[in-house]
Amino acid sequence: MQSTSTYTRDRCVTGIHGLDEILRGGIPYGSTVLAAGTCGSGKTTLAMEFLVRGALAGEACAHFTATEPSVKLLENIRQYAFFDMNMVDSGLINVFDMDVLYSWLGLDKASFDLDDVHALIKSIVDIVNTIGVTRLVIDSVTTLCYKIKSEQLIRDFLFTLGKKLATLGCTTILISEITSATENAHWSSFGVEEAIADGIIVMGDAERMGHLLRFLQVVKMRGTAHSRAKHAIELTPLGVMLIPMLKWGASSDKNSRWGQ
Amino acid sequence: MARTFDFDPEDEEFFGTVGSFGVPKFDNEMNGGVPRGFTIIAFTETGSGSELFAKQFTSPAEEPDNTLYITTDEGQQEITRIFKKYNWPLDINVRTIGEEYNANVLERDLLASRYRLEGFQLADIQRLAQTRFVDDSNQDYLTEVTNEIMGCGPYFRAVLDNLDFFLQREDPSRVISMVRMLQAHAQMVRGLLMISVSTDGLNPSIKQELSSIADMVLSFKVRTIGTDFENSMIVSKFRNAPENLKILVFRVTPEEGITPETVERIA
Repeated sequence: MQSTSTYTRDRCVTGIHGLDEILRGGIPYGSTVLAAGTCGSGKTTLAMEFLVRGALAGEACAHFTATEPSVKLLENIRQYAFFDMNMVDSGLINVFDMDVLYSWLGLDKASFDLDDVHALIKSIVDIVNTIGVTRLVIDSVTTLCYKIKSEQLIRDFLFTLGKKLATLGCTTILISEITSATENAHWSSFGVEEAIADGIIVMGDAERMGHLLRFLQVVKMRGTAHSRAKHAIELTPLGVMLIPMLKWGASSDKNSRWGQ
Repeated sequence: MARTFDFDPEDEEFFGTVGSFGVPKFDNEMNGGVPRGFTIIAFTETGSGSELFAKQFTSPAEEPDNTLYITTDEGQQEITRIFKKYNWPLDINVRTIGEEYNANVLERDLLASRYRLEGFQLADIQRLAQTRFVDDSNQDYLTEVTNEIMGCGPYFRAVLDNLDFFLQREDPSRVISMVRMLQAHAQMVRGLLMISVSTDGLNPSIKQELSSIADMVLSFKVRTIGTDFENSMIVSKFRNAPENLKILVFRVTPEEGITPETVERIA
């Protein structure tokens, strides 16, 4: 396990095995990080462990789920030994259903206009501010942004939200669903998320000798030096484990592209 | 395949071929009452007394369990007060759509506006974090009301006061289809159905369609004479009994409610 004493103060120590080493100590506080990945690449598990490690350190955490009902999310995550339902029951990890939030704000409609987007930002910021959230996950920003029709509005939404959360010292992971994690792929569905985010973590699958391996790669992280190497991910009952994918010197690799 | 009903001979004898309007003098003018299976469409003006007539129409309540009063404007308390005042039966089925709508939709909208304007308080956030499912308050009142009336058995008596609520919120063609279904149901099970609709802002083509569906068309009017108001009911359609077409000036008495005073035949 990592020793937290080696990390500098201005970092949000993720507590995820291997990730803090990649980030040279953790995510800079108040950053908005885009965790972009293909389906089944471990985005939700990684994000939930990020919250659990924070909760274990006494931080208030919030998870906004838009892709699946919170009941289902919690049922799925309970299989991991690192997760304890008491954290949710005691309010250390606050799980919010976006559908419920939409309903409460009168946003249960097909698309959002400028007022709606501002109402949504205000409510998320209100929650963060009122309960002192320092770790936030939105799963996924892709699903949320589908309701925002204009690219400009999506840009406004992400920029304003990121800025306000940074002011409050809240480190945020925005999960982005992508269809491909190859080197030519976009790290976001709308093309604007990646430009606005302070950091980008890409997750996908790589085929190696007939096996489909999950990998993670930090593409960008403002405010810190970091490794840009690919790391294999193992989703163990104890949490996410990252192992460097170094010296995979098979000759076929030299000609193949990322993730292919 | 069309449903058929076998009517109990005892019921046939008990209910007869006509039912009362709940206004004895009006029954007399209409040669005994309203034929079983009729759908009455009442076109109304503000202050013309149609709401009182609608309640009075349910007052014969031959079978209280099979008598239904649906209102989109009034509350339960007000209805009870009127029924008590005139000593009409209180054991009929009453549904107050307006109250339900206020509670389910308007209150929610108001709360949403408050959240958007003032933000969340800590208690709101705690409740939000514990709420796992969305309250499905997007009720389809039109379908509900249709099903409720269609669920009434033989010789039912029902009032829908009024249709404006649905015409303002739904596609009018859907509302007309609903009225058609209800008329067919009333005819099939020999029920008595009254539906009121306000003429203020009513599209003439919708009025025409409703008139053609109805077995009986009643218009409630009010006019001023000097310093007084004069209320009248105009029977402008009575299927297969054109002799019943009349203009009835009425007043409201504390004992009998709506009471026709003078009658004029439509030439």
